[in-house]
Order: sequence, then C-alpha cells, then structure tokens
Amino acid sequence: MYIYSEEEKNRVIYDHDALIIGAGLSGLRVAIELAQKHDVAILTKVQALRSHSVAAQGGINAALREDDSWEMHAFDTVKGSDYLADQDAVEILTQEAPRAVIENELWGTAFSRTPTGNIAQRPFGGAGYPRTCYAADRTGHNLLHTTFEQAMRLGIKFYDEFFATSLVRDDNRIVGVTALEISSGAVHGFTAKAVVVATGGFGRVYARSTNALINTGDGCALALRVGVPLKDMEFVQFHPTTLYGSSILITEGARGEGGHLLNAKGKRFMGKYAPDKMELAPRDIVARAIRTEVLEGRGFEGRYVHLDLTHLGKDRIMERLPGIREICVHFAGIDPIDEPIPVLPGQHYSMGGIDCDKYGNTTLPGLFAVGEAACMSVHGANRLGGNSLLETLVFGRVVGQKVIEYLGSAKSPSKQVVDDEAYRIREKLQTMTIKEQGESLHELRTKLTEAMDDYVGVFRNANDIKKALKVIREVRIGFENLALGEMDQRFNYSLIRALELENMIDLAESIAQGALMRKESRGAHWRVDYPNRNDEKFLKHSLATLTPEGIKISYKDVNLGRFEVKERMY
Amino acid sequence: MLFRVARSREGGKITHYDLYKIQEKKGMTILDGLFQIQDRMDPSLAFRYSCRGAVCGSCAMLIDKEPRLACRTQILAVKDEALKLKPFPPLTDAPPGWDKKTEILIEPLPNLPILKDLVVDMTKFYKSLEDLKLWMEPLESKHPRLQSPDEREVIRRYVNCIMCAICYGSCPVNFENEEYVGPAALAKAFRFEQDSRTTDPERYGEAARKSNGAPLCDLVMNCVKACPKGVAPGGAIRKLKQ
Repeated sequence: MYIYSEEEKNRVIYDHDALIIGAGLSGLRVAIELAQKHDVAILTKVQALRSHSVAAQGGINAALREDDSWEMHAFDTVKGSDYLADQDAVEILTQEAPRAVIENELWGTAFSRTPTGNIAQRPFGGAGYPRTCYAADRTGHNLLHTTFEQAMRLGIKFYDEFFATSLVRDDNRIVGVTALEISSGAVHGFTAKAVVVATGGFGRVYARSTNALINTGDGCALALRVGVPLKDMEFVQFHPTTLYGSSILITEGARGEGGHLLNAKGKRFMGKYAPDKMELAPRDIVARAIRTEVLEGRGFEGRYVHLDLTHLGKDRIMERLPGIREICVHFAGIDPIDEPIPVLPGQHYSMGGIDCDKYGNTTLPGLFAVGEAACMSVHGANRLGGNSLLETLVFGRVVGQKVIEYLGSAKSPSKQVVDDEAYRIREKLQTMTIKEQGESLHELRTKLTEAMDDYVGVFRNANDIKKALKVIREVRIGFENLALGEMDQRFNYSLIRALELENMIDLAESIAQGALMRKESRGAHWRVDYPNRNDEKFLKHSLATLTPEGIKISYKDVNLGRFEVKERMY
Repeated sequence: MLFRVARSREGGKITHYDLYKIQEKKGMTILDGLFQIQDRMDPSLAFRYSCRGAVCGSCAMLIDKEPRLACRTQILAVKDEALKLKPFPPLTDAPPGWDKKTEILIEPLPNLPILKDLVVDMTKFYKSLEDLKLWMEPLESKHPRLQSPDEREVIRRYVNCIMCAICYGSCPVNFENEEYVGPAALAKAFRFEQDSRTTDPERYGEAARKSNGAPLCDLVMNCVKACPKGVAPGGAIRKLKQ
C-alpha cells in the first residue's frame, strides 16, 4: 500500500527546460547538445551505462573514404529499406555520418584501426562499400561509455532509476512527465517546456529477442496514450543470427569477417536466396532464408542452422570478434574457433516508433522523439546493420538543435496540470498494488510475448495475426485483474514489470494491427498470403492511433527523393 | 538446486536468508534462477538486471562467496568454478545453515551499502569517475586522429571495462577503507594516461596517485582474478604506483 510521508506529498515538482527520457546514446547525445545553453536533465529507468546501446556489436556506418560517398550510403539505406524510408531523413543520416563518427573519435572512442592508423571499416549486410566503422565487436559499448564520459564532463543532471509513468499534455502542448522513483516508490511530477523520448525499442514484446530485458518501449506507449501516433509498427527486424537458447546477438560482423551459414546438410545455402551478396544480403532476406531452410527440413533439431567461423582462424576471431567468442563460450559452451555456432532468427530491432519528422518533431508541440523509439523514418521496412548506432548520434545532435530552437519561444508549463497528473498516477499505482488475488504477471507476459513470436514473426498471414490479436485482447482483459502480490514501495520490480507489460500490450496491438492491415510483403514484413510488394496501395507509412475501440490504422505518404523506387534484388 | 538468497527489506544489512527451490535446466544462469523466484515464488525479491548478456554490468553480486555477474554464471557450473580470491570477511563469513554442496548462496556485492536485497548503492563507485575527471577533453577538428593498432592494443584491455563494480566488491582494501576509489576508476585513469591520443596524460596519473587512489592498493590482485571482462585493473595500478 502506498503511504506517503508529509514530505513526499508536499514535494516541490521538479522543473527543467528540457527533460529527456532514456540515457542511451540518443538521449545522451541530445543532452550534450542542450547542456551548454539550457537546464536539461535525463530521466532513466537504469543507470546510463546499462542502456541497451551498450550491446550493439558490429559497428557504425559512415562514408569516410574518398572512393565512398554519402550518396552511395544513402542509396544502400533506401534500397535496404525497401523504399519505405523517407529520403530527406536518410540524406541527413548519411551526410552527417562522418561528422558523428569523427566527433566520437575526438571524444576518445577506441575504434579499431587500419595498419596506417585510420579508423577501420568492415563490410556489412546490404552495403555496396565496406563502410562500417567498429571497435572490435563492442562498438556500442565503446560509443556509450565515451558519450557518457562527455555527459559527465558537462555535469548533466541524471535521475537514475526513475520509471516514466506518463507524459503530461496541457491542451495542445507537452508540459511534463510523471515518474516513479524506483528506490522510494514515490511518484514525482516533472515540468518541462520540451520532452524528448529516447527510450529505445520494444523488442521484449517478443519472447525471443536479442534485446535487453529492459527494452519494453515505454516511451512509445506513453506517447501513444497522449494522442501521438506510432508509425510503421509492423516493421520488426528479425536478426538472422541469434544464439540458439539465449537469443543473444551474434553480430553481422561475423559474416562481414567471412563467416558462412550452413544448413544441416553442411551446405552454404545463401546462394539460392541472394546469389550476389550471399551471407551479406540484408537482414530480412537472410532471416527468411534461414527460416525457409528450417521449415523445409534442413535445420538442426528442426530449429537452427550453423554459423561457421572456424575457417577464419584463431587470430582473426580473437582480434575482430573476441566478444562473440566470449558469448559462445559462456552462454552456449561452444568455442567458435573450433566449432560452428548454432543460430536462428530472433527479434532484434524496431523500425517503427513514434511518428516524427526528420527533426524529431511529433504531432504534439514540445514532444520530440529520437533513436530507436522514433520513426523518422530512416530505416523504412528494413534497417541496415550499422545504421542504428549512426541514427542515435546523428539525430541526437539534430534533435538537440531543434529543441533549442523550440525552447526559444516556448511558454512556461503549468505546474498544476503536472501535479494533478502525478496525483492520478499515484492513485493508479495504489489500485494496482493493492489487489491480492488475480492474474499472474508472469503468465500474462509469457502469453503475450509467445503469441507475438508464434503469430507475428518472420512469415505472417492473416489467420495467424488474428490469433495474435485475440491473445492480445485476452491479455489486456487479464491485466485489468492483475495481482502483483507485492506491496513494498521500495524497489518494487514487480510493479515496474507490470507497468512495462501495460506498455507492451499497446505496442503489441499496434504491431499486429499494422501487420494485418498491410496486405503486401515489404522488407521485414512478409505476408505469405500477399507475397508481393504493392507500391500502388502500400508505398505508405502506417500510423497507429489509440481510440476507445482499440488501435486504428491510417496511412501517410513516404517522402521520396533522388532514388527511384525499384524492385529490390541482391 | 536450492538458492539461499540474502534478504534486506529496508537495506543497510542482511536481515535473513530465504531458501528457494529452482527448477534448473541446462544453460540456465543465476539470473534466470532469480527471475524464476520473482516470477513464480516471491515477487518481492529485488535485484538489478538489463542486458542478460554480460555487457551492461548491472547484475554483479556475490555467488557462492565469489563476486560474479549473475547473467554469465551457469547454475550447473557454479560449484565447479573457483576464482581463488584472497579471503576477507564478506568472502568468508558464511551464514549459519548454508549447505555448500546443495545450495547456491546469493548475496549482494560487498563493499557497497545495501539498498534492498541484492541491490546495492553504487553512488560512491560512480562518483569516483567524476572525482578523477575520467573523460577526454574534446578537440575541435574535422579529422579523426590517427592511432596505430599497436597503440590501440595498449588500451584495449581497459576500454573493455563494463563498470560492473565486481573489482570494487572483490577488493579487501575497499572493504577496509571507505576512501579508496577502487580498481575500476584507477584502471580507467590508466587507460586515459596511456591512450596515444591523450593531450594531457599527466592529469590522469596525478588524479590516480592521490592519497585515496593507487597508493592505497596492496596489490592483492583479487580484481584481476574476479574481473569478468579480463580488464586486469591490478596490472594498471601496479604501473600507476611506479
């Protein structure tokens, strides 16, 4: 039961010019941009270094060399997106890429190097040039730690282990956030003229995901609930190579370094699916190829295939892929120097997210989105490896600049509105924690996430998606009757996980509804009952909005540009 | 397998231990076991987690009296592995009733204040990074700096640190002396000092050699044995001392 001390009840509302939710690369980069001019703070449910950016392995794309160009990078990105990316946003991504990489090098990131001391680059899926810069297979780790160091240098204020419980709107603008302080159980109001959602993706909507356990898309769900649409939610990336058993990511860099995919007959099979690019076709294509091999009976134990690195030799594996070797040894008991790695596709990345433009502006003035939580869209229907780390650093800066512009003319927010909302959230949490008998959190979460795996996966059809929607409705009803069985205020992780599940229910419905309505196959969204791309009807972004009757889908145009829409072959 | 888990509802000190029966299967980690408890037996159990893949550094704790990452420790292998650390009280004072053969003992990471159950207060650990100013002063330039593969190799070990605080929790000096900044911060200072790109290497060495830093290290080397990422802070501190 929540009982507040007099002090807590009377706590002055926290106030900042701008509040960023999420302390991964995107959130940190926005904060760094703002720090010199404005009072900015980051609110995050885990300490910054525990953010999922840390897990990115393979690299970050940038056209650094003279025989590469941002136009080539842009073309690869747009083609990889199956032409659904907004080409104006892709231009910013690729033009600004070298600047973003160089900036982080100057901040101290220990990129791997060529013999002459330049930043090393490796080939990656769907790219016409080896433009993926890397720090061994720990690129995200290196970028995150370095960027956090710079945030520390600037003295940026962090609210660590605060879980955002709602965005607060006053008429037609954002005025703040409410958040649960995990260490005390107190709900606080935060007023801010601008709020930036940088909460990352929502991979944990699926049971088998490479994502950190914290990737529950909280910011996306909060935005949806204050009337901001989500975009292209049906486009979920399934990474071809996740470790059998634990679903931990095995980087595309393993194939970039020359790794082969083998079926149970010991044969390389990618030639059948992508004769030119082979193992380095884009992720959607490789994931479907592996699923097809397994479905046609050429998988191991009916589940997985092999990723073979043994021919690379010990030295190359130790130098370029030491983290992969560690993961295999510790989580699968396998040494990739001596034997192949069992892999299968698993959820990896959310192309969809909060509907915003190339500057992060959402439909609600003052509310911005950035990184995986946002959908600008630079990835369209399928993201290329090496473009997500890039998105965080490029658009972290761009969105930061736009927030500064917005703050110049923004009105001060109403404390009363935020205070009223904090009161409402306290009542809501009290109701959630007081129930003694009811549905089990664990069972509801398992039911939801397994339905998404089974029915809205690599290959989709209308019947399966409808099954998923039925389960989602059942879980939603069950959630109303949830009993946590834990009444402690402090560090109540059961309550946190319940709030995450509440968020994931809305996101799962958005994904499934978007997938049902999109009667075509494009990028990562593959409908076996509509196996062709249909540009006439669906060269469009889908928009999911929350209505009293549930999620409704509408469409809007894609920003096309210099690259003509063509059939996608590799 | 049985888990004997340290509990502390209000924080401060361990008040008691709870015993849970875990349904284990091959490949299951200590973290999986803790989730099984939270999901099915006792939703009040508090512990930190994030990546479950040994890269985020959230889930450091004391497992069978050795500081480890819960996500990277296999239940079935715990009893076969030993870090062979130099003993100090948190590693030797076993709770009464603990049956070493049949129970895995799980306790909060030593040397940091307990907030609740397995959650410790990392404030002091993070603060040392700020106190030692462990960041690079950014340069204004349109071009990246050169660094040879050999020069990068000098700092490779140290940039792999995930700030899990296992070294801090394994160090007898951190146990005895609250002032000591600990191995992770010193290893990071050494990394900046040694980085061929650093323009002011002296300041990191000076910060690390202050009275609450490298001089306090007794070169016990528990940090080197316990580090899950092969960072080997003790080697860096030895060089800082010289």
